[in-house]
Amino acid sequence: MKPPMLARLLLLTVAGEAEGEFVAGDLHEEFLHLCATRGRPAGNRWYAWQVVRSVVTLLGLRLRSGEAMQLALAALSVAVPLLLLDRLWCFVYSQIPLKDGLDRAPGFLAVNVLYVCICSALCGSAARSFQRAILIAAVTAAAAAFALWPAAGETPAIYVWLVLLTAPASSLLVFTWRRFG
Amino acid sequence: MKWLKWIGIVLAALLIPPIVTLFILSLRKDAGHLHGSIEIAASPQQLFPWLVEGAKLKQWVGWLVEVRVSDPANRGVGTSCVWVMKDANNGGRPMEIVAKTREYAPPSHLVLQISSEGQFTGDNVYELVDLGNGRTRLEVDSRFHFSNWFVSLMEPVVTPAARKKMIADEVRLKALVESKAEVR
Repeated sequence: MKPPMLARLLLLTVAGEAEGEFVAGDLHEEFLHLCATRGRPAGNRWYAWQVVRSVVTLLGLRLRSGEAMQLALAALSVAVPLLLLDRLWCFVYSQIPLKDGLDRAPGFLAVNVLYVCICSALCGSAARSFQRAILIAAVTAAAAAFALWPAAGETPAIYVWLVLLTAPASSLLVFTWRRFG
Repeated sequence: MKWLKWIGIVLAALLIPPIVTLFILSLRKDAGHLHGSIEIAASPQQLFPWLVEGAKLKQWVGWLVEVRVSDPANRGVGTSCVWVMKDANNGGRPMEIVAKTREYAPPSHLVLQISSEGQFTGDNVYELVDLGNGRTRLEVDSRFHFSNWFVSLMEPVVTPAARKKMIADEVRLKALVESKAEVR
């Protein structure tokens, strides 16, 4: 008998690798017992409620573990270079003697994509499990989106898509290469 | 500590090669040099005012918002004016550039010394070659020196961007001058 899928997914997402399986195992045992004694709907309600009330505690545990630090580093190592590169291109364009607009030369955007790829790949190489690699890939994509949002320079749609796709892709690619290569 | 070491190595690997490349490129002979040439279906007499009159300059020089001239009647050698540019990459802040006339031979030759305090100095040379049949080839030759060491280092990326802008300006000038010449 399986517990409610959404609640279990939330539990694994919030708890992370370190605690997720243990907590999920304990809850599952109790869930089975409740289903047998009080019925499935009561078991489902109990399971969902246990997950909801554990969210804050589990998040706290996760923040104290190295996993949160790794995710924060992944986010920073993608967002910071992108933001700095945007500032650098603004500076370069403001040094054009007769000035120019916010359009960026394709070469500059290509440098941004390259740096995002390198940084994401480095983050991906630090992942130790598939679940962690997925999480890091998601974080790099979110960090890239966050860094693109306040960009002063023009961001053509193709460039945005390239950044948002290459960040998680290169992270996962390097993880896969290290694991199976 | 291990993390810090790796961060240092990664940063060095990402930053040192571009910096060394930029430094080597910034030492090249034609650093800060721009050249543009365009053929315009108008006579040099029709074209020349577009290079010196503030109201006309504002129409084709991108991001130029104001031209302040101390004495509009006098445009000879030694006179100067202030070009106010809107710097979109610096929050739209206005930036003043002093353009001093160094050589003035209408309608074929004009040299402006342009400078912005603490940023750059340079010469803009305009040659108007009469091709006959109401056509003119405008040659623009510019050479800039940047005051700041970091900008000098970034020169290999600044100059191509400036060249792209110069070409865009010339294309705009051609369209404007030719549309006005057609009306006449």
